Amino acid sequence: MFNLSELENDALVEIFNIGVGQAAASMSAIVHEEVTMSVPSISFMHRAAAAVLLGRGDHEHARICGVSQHYEGAFETEAILMFPEDKSLEIVRLMVGEAVPLQELTEMEQEAMCEIGNIILNSCVGTLANIFQHELQGSLPVYHVGTSDEILTASGSHSDTVVLMLHIDFILEKHQIHGYVAFILDISALHDLKDQINRYIARAMGQA
Amino acid sequence: MSGAQPLDEAPGDAAFRLGLLHGVLCAVNLGAIVLDAQRRIVLWNSWMVRHSGIEHAAAQGQDLFALYPALRGGRVESAVQQALHNHFPSLLSQSLNKAPFPLYAAGATAQQPGPRLQQAVEVTPIAIAGAAHHCLIQITDVSIAVAREKLLREQAMVLRSQTFSDGLTGIANRRHFDVTIEKEWRRAKRNGTALTLLMIDIDCFKAYNDHYGHQQGDQCLIEVAAALAGMLKRPCDMMARYGGEEFAMILPETDGEQARRVAEAIRLRTLELALPHAHSGVSGGLVSVSIGIATQAADVPVSIAELIGAADRALYCAKRGGRNRIAAEALD
Repeated sequence: MFNLSELENDALVEIFNIGVGQAAASMSAIVHEEVTMSVPSISFMHRAAAAVLLGRGDHEHARICGVSQHYEGAFETEAILMFPEDKSLEIVRLMVGEAVPLQELTEMEQEAMCEIGNIILNSCVGTLANIFQHELQGSLPVYHVGTSDEILTASGSHSDTVVLMLHIDFILEKHQIHGYVAFILDISALHDLKDQINRYIARAMGQA
Repeated sequence: MSGAQPLDEAPGDAAFRLGLLHGVLCAVNLGAIVLDAQRRIVLWNSWMVRHSGIEHAAAQGQDLFALYPALRGGRVESAVQQALHNHFPSLLSQSLNKAPFPLYAAGATAQQPGPRLQQAVEVTPIAIAGAAHHCLIQITDVSIAVAREKLLREQAMVLRSQTFSDGLTGIANRRHFDVTIEKEWRRAKRNGTALTLLMIDIDCFKAYNDHYGHQQGDQCLIEVAAALAGMLKRPCDMMARYGGEEFAMILPETDGEQARRVAEAIRLRTLELALPHAHSGVSGGLVSVSIGIATQAADVPVSIAELIGAADRALYCAKRGGRNRIAAEALD
């Protein structure tokens, strides 16, 4: 399995925390309330293992809501923000500030969820691209709902494809919600990522 | 649009293709604005003309944020920056961005513009060979979908309210209260408005029950609840049966002074019912209420628990002070 050294891991966690910090600031501006987000940890795992991690909930086939965007350029990745379905209801309704007594997200709420995903994913990938001094282009977000396996395979990857999983904490008005951002990366993108992290560390050390 | 194929198969020359593309952009049923790297409008389609009241010629070449200064510093501006500089697209949902562009139904006049169109907005970067990135803003009118969801939400709320009412008195139950106080508390915080909570308790109700029996006790609760609930005039006010003979009233956008007037009116209204109470110990043998008032000031939000605690303490004060009276606890 692909692995990072402790130093590389810490650098990447720091980069993503900058990214979600910006996303939280954008969302705070939208709702005029404090939104905080952090990435406590990241891990690399095979897609199948990632699906198991996400699926382990009350029951095996718990539904997950996902918002995905495709990025390409210096490297190519499918980025997916994922929350258990009940948590995505909670996030959207907290953000929109209006409770709808329905078990599923309505069409308008799905669009709001897409916007939330769009803000978070663009911030994460944008920070990564800026720090790596890379150019990337992104697609518009797409909303999915299904099992973790269905969502992670929506981009057509193999079960042994490596997924970079970010654990994210989203806090709004005393509600703390855990979710994930998955980056589906091929092997060349992974090695490129490692190289870029090391260049970033070298630059950071050089300036210190 | 960024995925459009070059029209290799089309007859004619570049001018024809350009004319065709222009015609298509003007025919599509959504707003299309293209900005150059300096955020100047280079394309403003006919849909935009129809719904903004701004002609092609007047829009062309203008800085979008000079044309619509209210968009500065908001989501639209950050989405445009994101597209032009990071080359990432953004989506602005109707739910999180209430109608950012001043666009109105076709045929609206400056005198009677009507409400703004409900909008879903997408901002996408456009790569042009040999030039800096441009960006395309697409605006879709989602007014119909919004109206449909409003109806859906209202009907769902009606269904929900049937499990949210108190079986005896028909007013909101404790569960409904918990949901509403949470909603109104957050709304007050967001909008920076005051919020008042009243705790209302029928005086010496145990003695009433002992003397008149439980059936009569229930009847008393029903009459008091109906009379007091009938005093609420605004849709956002709510009265709930909080427990036993205790009622709670949530009064959004109500400051301490207004709250005292409402509470005093409630106290008097209860006496007006003229329900005999042989063991009331006060007020000439009539059913009376004591009321505790807690008001959260506009700019000093406290927690829901503190608000309820303060109203409870105020109610206790009113009881101890001799009943059939109101008492307030300041929160700041």
